[in-house]
Amino acid sequence: MADLDIRPATARTASTPTPPESSRATPSPGRPRRARRRLHVGSHAFLLILTVAFLAPVAWAIVSSFKPAADIIRDPLGFDPSGFTLENFRGMLQDVPIGSGFLNTGIVLLVKGAITLFFAPLAAYAFAKYDFRGKNLIFGAVLLTLMLPTIVLIIPLLLEMKELGWVNTYQALILPGSVDAFAIFWMRQVIAAVPDELLDAARVDGCGEFGIFWRVIVPVIRPGLAGLAVLTIMNIYNDFVWPVVVASSSRMATLQVVLSTLAQNISGNKVGADYATVTGELLAAATVALIPLLILFIVLQKHFINGILAGSVKG
Amino acid sequence: MTTTLTAPQATGLGRRRPGRGLPWRRRLAPYLFVLPFVAIFLAFSIYPLVFTLRLSFTDWHGAGAAEWVGLGNYVYLLGSPGFWSSLANSGILWLLIVPLQLVGSVVIAVLLNTSKLRMRGFYRVAFIVPFVTPLVAVAQIWIVLFDQNYGAVNAVLGALGLPHIGWLVTSDWAKPTLALLFLWKTTGFVVIILLSGLQSIDTSLYEAGSLDGAGRVRQLWSITVPLLRRSLMFCVVLQTLAVFQMFAEPYVVTKGGPYGSTTTAGLYLYNHITRADLGTGAANSFLLVIVVMALSLAFVRLLRAKD
Repeated sequence: MADLDIRPATARTASTPTPPESSRATPSPGRPRRARRRLHVGSHAFLLILTVAFLAPVAWAIVSSFKPAADIIRDPLGFDPSGFTLENFRGMLQDVPIGSGFLNTGIVLLVKGAITLFFAPLAAYAFAKYDFRGKNLIFGAVLLTLMLPTIVLIIPLLLEMKELGWVNTYQALILPGSVDAFAIFWMRQVIAAVPDELLDAARVDGCGEFGIFWRVIVPVIRPGLAGLAVLTIMNIYNDFVWPVVVASSSRMATLQVVLSTLAQNISGNKVGADYATVTGELLAAATVALIPLLILFIVLQKHFINGILAGSVKG
Repeated sequence: MTTTLTAPQATGLGRRRPGRGLPWRRRLAPYLFVLPFVAIFLAFSIYPLVFTLRLSFTDWHGAGAAEWVGLGNYVYLLGSPGFWSSLANSGILWLLIVPLQLVGSVVIAVLLNTSKLRMRGFYRVAFIVPFVTPLVAVAQIWIVLFDQNYGAVNAVLGALGLPHIGWLVTSDWAKPTLALLFLWKTTGFVVIILLSGLQSIDTSLYEAGSLDGAGRVRQLWSITVPLLRRSLMFCVVLQTLAVFQMFAEPYVVTKGGPYGSTTTAGLYLYNHITRADLGTGAANSFLLVIVVMALSLAFVRLLRAKD
C-alpha cells in the first residue's frame, strides 16, 4: 500500500474535458504500413468479440423479456417479432410490488445522495485545507475503515437499528454509510489539488469560510463531483446487502430486494410451464431495473469515466 | 500503511500550525465542516466496529445476556471445517478471477489506448456497461442464461455440437460460472483504472523502445507493465477485497450450493447472522479482515519487490 499514490486528476479533467489521447500514441515509426494495418484489424476483431460477450447477456435479457414465456425456454436464441408481448411484464407487476420498490429506491436515492454529495465534500474540504485538532486521528480512522470489508459492520449495525427501533424504516436505509469513507477520501484528494491562492484571494475579497467552499471549491471541483455523483447514484441504486438485511418487509423493500424475491420464487418451482412463467417475469424485472441505470449511464458516461479517472491511481 | 496513504504533498497537511493567530471564525470553521460526517461516522462505523470486537468474545444469539467466552469463538472457527472450506472456496474463486482479469485488462487497456483506434468511445462504454448494471438483475440473468436445460448458453453449445453443461447444478462448474459473472461484471472497471495509469506513461519511452528494436510484445512487457505497477497493485488489492467479500452473487445465484461449493467467505459469514449466532459471526468478521489485510499486504510486497 505504501506507494499507492492516489492523486487527483481534477486539473486535467477540468482544463481538458477530453483528454488529449491522440497524442498518446504508441508510434512505431519504422514499421511498414501493412503490418500496422494487420495489427489494427487484429485488435478490432479481438475487441469486437469481447464487446459482444460483454453486451450479449444484457441485450439477450432485454430482448427475451418481450418474448412469450414459453419461447424463452423452447428457443432461447431466436426472436420472432410477431410474438412480441408484454405478458411477462404484466405477470411480474402482479407478482411483486415493483412500484413500491422503485418508490423506496427513489426516496433513498434522493435523500442519501443529497447527504453524500453535500457533506462529503464539505468534510473533505476541512481535511484538505484546514488544520484542526484530531484531524490526523479522524483521517486515519477513515483510511482504516476503507480497508474493512463492509460486511463486518452488518451485524452490529443491524443490532443498533433494532435498538433504535429503525428496522424497516427509511432512516435505516439512508443514514448508515451516507457519508462514507470512500467519498471523503476521494474528495479530499480532489480538493487538495485546488491551489491555496484561490482560497486566499477569496478571503481577501471578504468571503466567509463556508462561502469559500460554496463559491470557490464547489465550482472548481465540478468534474470530480460529477464523477462522485454518478458513482453514488449507482451504488445506492444497486445496493443490496444492507437493504436485504435491514428492510426486508415488502413495504420497505427497495427495488433490488424486490427483484431478489423473484429469484427465490424461481428456485422454488423449477418445473415445466411454471418455470417458463417465472423466467419470463424474472427477465422482465431485470429489464425494468436495468433500463433507468443504462439510460443514466449512457447520458452521463463521460462524467462517469472521467470521474473514475479523476479518482483513481496514476502510474 | 495509513501514514503513507496520506502522503500526497500538494495538500495543506501540516503546513500551517494549528490555529494560532487566525481569526476565530477560521479556527472554528473546520470543526463545523467535519461535524456532520464525524457524527455519522461515529454512530454508524466506529461504534458498530467496537461493538463487533466486543461481541466476538461472547456467545450471544440476539436476546438475553451475552456470555463471555474469551477466544472461544475464534478457536471454534479455526477448528471448524466450514470456515476453512469457505476460505478455500473464495481462494479458488480468486485464482479463477484475478490473474485472468489482470492480464486481460492490461491487453484491453493497451489496445484502447492506441491512437487512431476507431470506435474507442464505443468500446469503452461497452466494457463498462456490465459494471453499471444492478447486481441482482445480472445474477438473475445468469440463472436463466446458465440453466442446464433451458439456458441460452447450453443452447449455443448444443448448436455447436458440444455437450450441455450443468453450470449451476454441479459442484465442479458452479465456481467457474460465478467467476464468469464476476469477471463479466468488474473487468470494465479494472480496464478504466489501468487506462488512467497508461495515460500517465511518457510516450517517448516507446519511441526509444522501438528505436532499440523492441517489438510490441517486448514493449508491453518491459515498458508498460513495470510502469503500470502501481495501478496493477491497486487493482489487485481492490479485487482481492471484492472477491473475499463476495456475497450477493452466490446469495442470489446459487445460495452457496451445490454441496457448499459456492459458499464464499462472505456468504459463510452471513449464514451466522441468519442463524442468529452473532458472536461467532463477529469473530468470523475479524478473521476475514485479517485474512484480507494479510493478502493485500502480501501482494503489495510482491509487486514492490519487482522494482
